[in-house]
Amino acid sequence: MAAILQSTGAPTQADFHAAISDRSDRWFSACLKITRNRDLAEDAVQDALLSAWNKRHQFDSSARLDTWIHRIAINAALQLLRKTRPNAFEPLDSEIADHGDTPESVQAEQELGRDLSAALTHLTEIERVCFVLKHLEQWRLKEIGDEIGANVGTVKQAIFRAVRKLRVRMAGLQGETI
Amino acid sequence: MNDDTLLLYYYNDGLSTRERRQVDAAINTDPDIAAQYEALCQQLNAMDDPEPHAVPSHMVQRWHDSIDRAAQQDLVSQRQPSRSFNLFSFAWGAAFAATLAIGISIGVYFSAAPLTAPTVIAENLAPPAAFTRGVSMYLRDTHQELATLPVATAAERTTLVLQIIEQNRLFERAAEQNNSQSLARVLRAFEPILLRLAADDIAPEDAEALRAQLAFELNVMLTKIARDSSNNSQST
Repeated sequence: MAAILQSTGAPTQADFHAAISDRSDRWFSACLKITRNRDLAEDAVQDALLSAWNKRHQFDSSARLDTWIHRIAINAALQLLRKTRPNAFEPLDSEIADHGDTPESVQAEQELGRDLSAALTHLTEIERVCFVLKHLEQWRLKEIGDEIGANVGTVKQAIFRAVRKLRVRMAGLQGETI
Repeated sequence: MNDDTLLLYYYNDGLSTRERRQVDAAINTDPDIAAQYEALCQQLNAMDDPEPHAVPSHMVQRWHDSIDRAAQQDLVSQRQPSRSFNLFSFAWGAAFAATLAIGISIGVYFSAAPLTAPTVIAENLAPPAAFTRGVSMYLRDTHQELATLPVATAAERTTLVLQIIEQNRLFERAAEQNNSQSLARVLRAFEPILLRLAADDIAPEDAEALRAQLAFELNVMLTKIARDSSNNSQST
């Protein structure tokens, strides 16, 4: 079995364990930024690992296993988000005002920590997801649009709004810490 | 020039080549736009990914376990479709069938026992002697199989250990049916060690260590069963 895996370049069980030990905190953090829910983020990583394991023979051995799993985890998180909140990515016609701290945003803020993660809790679902995928995950606008079922124009608008809000929020947070 | 255009310029995405050239020119010729872009870059750089959140160890363990389980399922499903005749696997199949027959016979015999002698069963919860002998035989056979287990070749080792696991589960169920929960628990405790031994990517020295551990546990179990049988026969 080991020989078969090596000859096709597919990652082994040990490779997966090593990747989990080294990088699972990053996968989890990325999924948490998208879902804002620890259980969903945990499940997303779990789904991604099983999916990657089942598709390991399709893995391009010139790539990095942890990067590959990271990408699958993001997709899994988006899928879970869509499942639990079906209208999450509906485009908005107008600017949504920041309504301040809601109980949900306060709890998420406590779980996510301060600074960027805290500021992200004040974005709408589509703004947060588009910003995270563009700014932190470096996806192309078209990829984001394809993934969330929106056109590039909608994705751009979501990112513009997200950045505007984050600039204000983060300036405020930095002011608080001074 | 508005910030949205500068933002797309920063991301190098969403602007045509012509639009990018226009922004380039504007930044190079207009100090105000250059300052505006500089401020935007600073703010965007401050939005970079912070340190990842610490993940609880139980969560990481769950992910490790899920890979082990998936790998194990793969191994089992890879064995099942194999139909080619092989003398070695035929011998193992025959041995397994015989064990299965013994196990079923023991199960049927003792599941019928309470109907004929309910008071005896209620008073004496020790496993019946025939069952104990069956378990002892199984443990001795397993001990021998482990002694000749090819630790260096993963494929053969995996096949053999998976068959031992099947037998172990059979005896574990029989132990439960025979009111011997402690024996069932011990047999169940063998399984994680056997599963690790069945893994295809285990190093030969680790396989050897696991084999030695199992051999030791089996010996302890055999000694305990022999001692309990001797105590029971003396007391009756």
